[in-house]
Amino acid sequence: MTPDEAAFLAKKKEKAAVRRAKPEDKGVLGLTSLMDIVSIIVVYLLKSYASDPVIISPTAGQKIPLSTADSSIQDGIPIFVTQRGITFGDKKVVAMTAEGDIEDSAVTNHLIGPLFDAMAEEVDKAKTLGENIGKPWEGRAILVGDQDLKFSVLVDVMYTAGRAEFSQYSFCIIRKG
Amino acid sequence: MARKKREEGEIEANLLPVMNIMFLLIPALLMAMEFASMASINVSPPKFSSQPSEPKPEDEKKEKPLNLKVFIMEDGYRVSADGQQEGAEAGKAADSKAPTIPLAKAGSPLTDYDRYDYKALEAKAKEYKSLFPTEQIVTISAEAKIPMQALIYTMDALTGSTCKLGKVQKGEGIPEDCYFWQPVVEGGAG
Repeated sequence: MTPDEAAFLAKKKEKAAVRRAKPEDKGVLGLTSLMDIVSIIVVYLLKSYASDPVIISPTAGQKIPLSTADSSIQDGIPIFVTQRGITFGDKKVVAMTAEGDIEDSAVTNHLIGPLFDAMAEEVDKAKTLGENIGKPWEGRAILVGDQDLKFSVLVDVMYTAGRAEFSQYSFCIIRKG
Repeated sequence: MARKKREEGEIEANLLPVMNIMFLLIPALLMAMEFASMASINVSPPKFSSQPSEPKPEDEKKEKPLNLKVFIMEDGYRVSADGQQEGAEAGKAADSKAPTIPLAKAGSPLTDYDRYDYKALEAKAKEYKSLFPTEQIVTISAEAKIPMQALIYTMDALTGSTCKLGKVQKGEGIPEDCYFWQPVVEGGAG
């Protein structure tokens, strides 16, 4: 080792020792920019918040019909009618055939028995609740159908709802455009 | 006397609790977010009157109702007003079950929702509306296999494609581009 090299190594070691002896700076995480992004996201989501009185969550595989109608959804009880079955109150009450018709055993003269029972129970509850809070029960059924739903099935569901004392109907649609 | 100046240190707000709330708000709002804008079409069931009421003098003065009916068939629309089908021979209610408005896409499957001539139906609705400006009710019926989407598009055509009822405030009149916006859905044969 030449004297120059030895001097260079000694200097390097000295520098390393100084660096080690130096106290470490405390790292500060800059949260301001993150806060800005998060605030913007929260404001955007609040703007997009569903303000309808009834939150319609379509069942799996359901394609809600499209329409140019723009009337907001009024308060009511949703009935989900798909090609697979009829769901009322988070419970599948009727199953459909492969052709998209209601099973024969469930229908008698357009009346869908299991759906009628479930609706009648719900109507009783809604009426009692309405009496307790002093608000008359409007009897509105929101039919959340499927694009391919047959008219005959739709009529049977409407007839059953009518028999269960629902007097007003709304078809739930997705606004076009 | 010199006043001792107190050095003001930079105070940093603790953002972590705010961040925690913000991050909890994001999934909560995402859950309640409206991805697709939902709306509704108010539909009336057919009205049956068991006891015919005696005609009031006011009713007699009123003009004869249009009683517009649209029947959606697999091969087109059958339109009738006051019991008389469009295009049928005078005095005959139906004209050999032929559609008043044939399909726009003849031979297309039922799942093709654009098979019907919605523009022609809308033009027909506009024509009737100009003759009966106070009428707003239309009775719609369909054959058993007609899909719901075709029914909805038919309602849209009868209401008017540019009609915006959602923006109409209480007490305001219905816009002129809204034709028959009160559909009555009737089951059975038309």
